[in-house]
Amino acid sequence: MQLVVNIVVLASIYALIACGYVLIYRVSRVLNLAHGELMMLGAYLLLATASLFSGHPAMALAAAALLSLLTGALVYVFLMRKMTGEMVLAAILTTVALGILIRGVAVLIWSAQQQYPAVALGVANPSLSLLGGARISIWSLALVLTNLVVYCGLFLFLNFSRWGMRMRAAGQNPLLAAQRGINLHGVYALAWSLSTLTGALAGILMALDSGLTTSMPVIGLKAFPAALVGGLDSLAGALLGALIVASAEVLLIYYVDPLLSDVVPFLVLIAMLGVRPWGLFGTREELDRV
Amino acid sequence: MIKRIILSAIGACALALPAAAQDAYVVGLTGALTGPPSSTYAPAVEALRIYIDRVNAGGGVNGKKIQLVLEDDGAQPSKAAANTKKLITQDKAVLVVNASLSSTYAPMIAETKNAGVPLLFASGVCPQSVYPPADPLQFCTTGYASHFDSQATLDFVKATAKAPVKIGFSAMAIPLSRGEMDYAQDLSKTMDMTPVDEEVIPPPTADYTPFATKLKDAGPNWVYSWAPWVTQVRTLEALRKLGWQDEFIAWGHIEAEGDLARLKDDKFFVVNANALFQDALPIHKEIEEAAKKAGSKYPAQTMAEGWIGGMAIEAALKGAGWPADAIKVRAAMENLKIDTKGLRGGSIEWNKDNHFRTRLYYRVYRWSGDKIARVQDWKTYDVK
Repeated sequence: MQLVVNIVVLASIYALIACGYVLIYRVSRVLNLAHGELMMLGAYLLLATASLFSGHPAMALAAAALLSLLTGALVYVFLMRKMTGEMVLAAILTTVALGILIRGVAVLIWSAQQQYPAVALGVANPSLSLLGGARISIWSLALVLTNLVVYCGLFLFLNFSRWGMRMRAAGQNPLLAAQRGINLHGVYALAWSLSTLTGALAGILMALDSGLTTSMPVIGLKAFPAALVGGLDSLAGALLGALIVASAEVLLIYYVDPLLSDVVPFLVLIAMLGVRPWGLFGTREELDRV
Repeated sequence: MIKRIILSAIGACALALPAAAQDAYVVGLTGALTGPPSSTYAPAVEALRIYIDRVNAGGGVNGKKIQLVLEDDGAQPSKAAANTKKLITQDKAVLVVNASLSSTYAPMIAETKNAGVPLLFASGVCPQSVYPPADPLQFCTTGYASHFDSQATLDFVKATAKAPVKIGFSAMAIPLSRGEMDYAQDLSKTMDMTPVDEEVIPPPTADYTPFATKLKDAGPNWVYSWAPWVTQVRTLEALRKLGWQDEFIAWGHIEAEGDLARLKDDKFFVVNANALFQDALPIHKEIEEAAKKAGSKYPAQTMAEGWIGGMAIEAALKGAGWPADAIKVRAAMENLKIDTKGLRGGSIEWNKDNHFRTRLYYRVYRWSGDKIARVQDWKTYDVK
C-alpha cells in the first residue's frame, strides 16, 4: 500500500510540474526550459511572503501564489513577447537564459543555504495513517489534492470558459484566432501566468514538505519527460505520463536498484520516442522537431 | 576622443593590476558557490573570506595583505579545472584552495601538480592523498574524512546501542559517499552488527519517501548516513514520515546545528569534528561578531570550516615569509601547527608525511529536552 501512496505522490509532483510545460507549449509552441527555475522562484516567494505575513500562513500562501501568477505575466510581457514571430529555437534559448538569471538572483537574494518555508510559516508537517499501514505527510497530501484541483480546474477552464476557448483557438491556429479578434498577447500572457502558477504550487508544496534549495530546478527537468511521454500538447497526457514515469521510478527503486531512479524518466522517454514520438495523447501533426 | 581616453584608462588599469597584486599574497579559491551542493560550500567560502578580510584589516601577514581571488565552479569539474588554471597562470596564486564537491578534485590536482602550486582542501572532504604518506602538494583542514568518520560513528553506535544492531545505510549517488557507506557496511560486520540495507539516492530527488520505504522495510534499528547534508536530513525526515522511530546517526556538516534545533528529534545523532556553537566558546563569539559585522547572509553556525581554512592560510603565509612563492608556501605548510582555539578537539598539525592531521577528535550531539546536548565528548583517534 505504501508503494501505491509513493507512486501517487511522485506522480502528483511530476504532473503538477508537467502541466506548466504543456500549457505554454500548447498555446505558443515554446518549450519553457526555465519552468524548473520559475517553480523554485515560487517557493522562494513563499519564503518572502512568510516573513511579510508572519503568523498568517494562509495569507502568505495566497500572496505567493498571486505573485507567481504576476511573475508569469511579467516574464511574457518583458521577455517572451519580444520573441513573438522569431524562430522557436530563439524563444527556447531565451528561456534557458531566463533560468540562469533566476538561479543567480535566487542565490544573491536568499543565499545558497537550505531554507524551510514551513518553519518560517510556523506550520508543522505531521504524517497521517492510511489504509493498509501506509502513511502520507500533510503537505504531500496537500500536493496530491492540489494536483487534482488544478487539473479539474484547467479542464473546466479550457473547455467551458471564454478565455479557455480563446487559448485553445490560439494554440490551434494563431493567425485565424488573431483575425477573429482574439488578443494573442493576452492569451499568451495568461498561459505564462497559469503555467508559472502551477509550477510555483508544485515548488511551494515540495518546499513545505521537505525544504528548499537552489537545486530544485533539476526536479523540474525530471518532470519534463512526463510531459513528453504523455504528449506535449495534452494535459490528460501529462497526467498519464506522470503516472507512468512515477510508477516506473518507485517500483524500480523498491524492487531493482535505487540508482535507476535518476535515469528512469529518461529511459521511459526514449522508449516512447522510439514508438510514438508525439506521446500518448499528443497531436501527430503538431510535432515540431527542435 | 573620449572613447580613446576611456580605452587608455582601462588599459592602464589592466597593466597596473598585476603590479598591485605583486605587493600582496595571492591566494586563489575555486568553490561551489552555486549549484546543488552549494549550501555546504558557500557558507564556508564566506567564512574564509571574512577571516581573510579581518587579517587584512589587522595589517595582513608579515606586513602584506592577502589578496583572495574567488571563483565559482558550480561543483563542475571542468569549471574547477579552468578556474584553477586561471588562478595559477593569470592571478599568479601561490596557494590554491578547493571548496567544492569531490568530483572537482582530480582536475584541480592535475593543474596544481603541473604548476607545482600547493592545494588546500578547506571544506570539501579530505582526500586520501593527504593521509600519510601524503602527496607533497596537497593539504586538508576539512573536518570530515572518509573511513575515520565511519570508524568513529560505528564505535559510538556500538557503545550506545542497547540491543543487537541491525543497521541501514544511506548514501548520495556520488563516488565518495557510496564508497564510504560500502566501507562502513564492511566495518559494521566486523563489529558484530548486521547491515540490512544500503540506499544510494541520486541528487536531487523530488521525494525521498520511496527510498526511505525500502530502507524501513529492511527493518533497521539504526540508520547511518555519510553524505551531503541534504541527503542525510531528508532521508531521516522521510523515515520519520513513514513512522520509523529508531536511531539515526549522520555526519555533522555545517548545517547540522540549525537542523538539530529545527527537528528536535532526540534519536537523531550527529558526529562532529567541530564544536557546535551552542558550546559558546570565545572563538564562537568572535565568529558570530565577525559574521554580523560583515553582514553575512549565512548563519555563524555554518562558518567553522571556513574559519579554520582561513587560520591555515594565515599560518602558512606567515611561515612562508615575504616575498613568497609556491615553493616557500608549500615548505611552510609541511611544518605547520594550527591552533583551532577550541573549534576542534585539538590543533591541526602537518608534517612532511602527514598533510591531514596527526590526531582526529570527534564529538556526538543530539537534541535533548529543549536544547542540543553533547552525548559524547571529544574522542581521539591517532592518524598513522
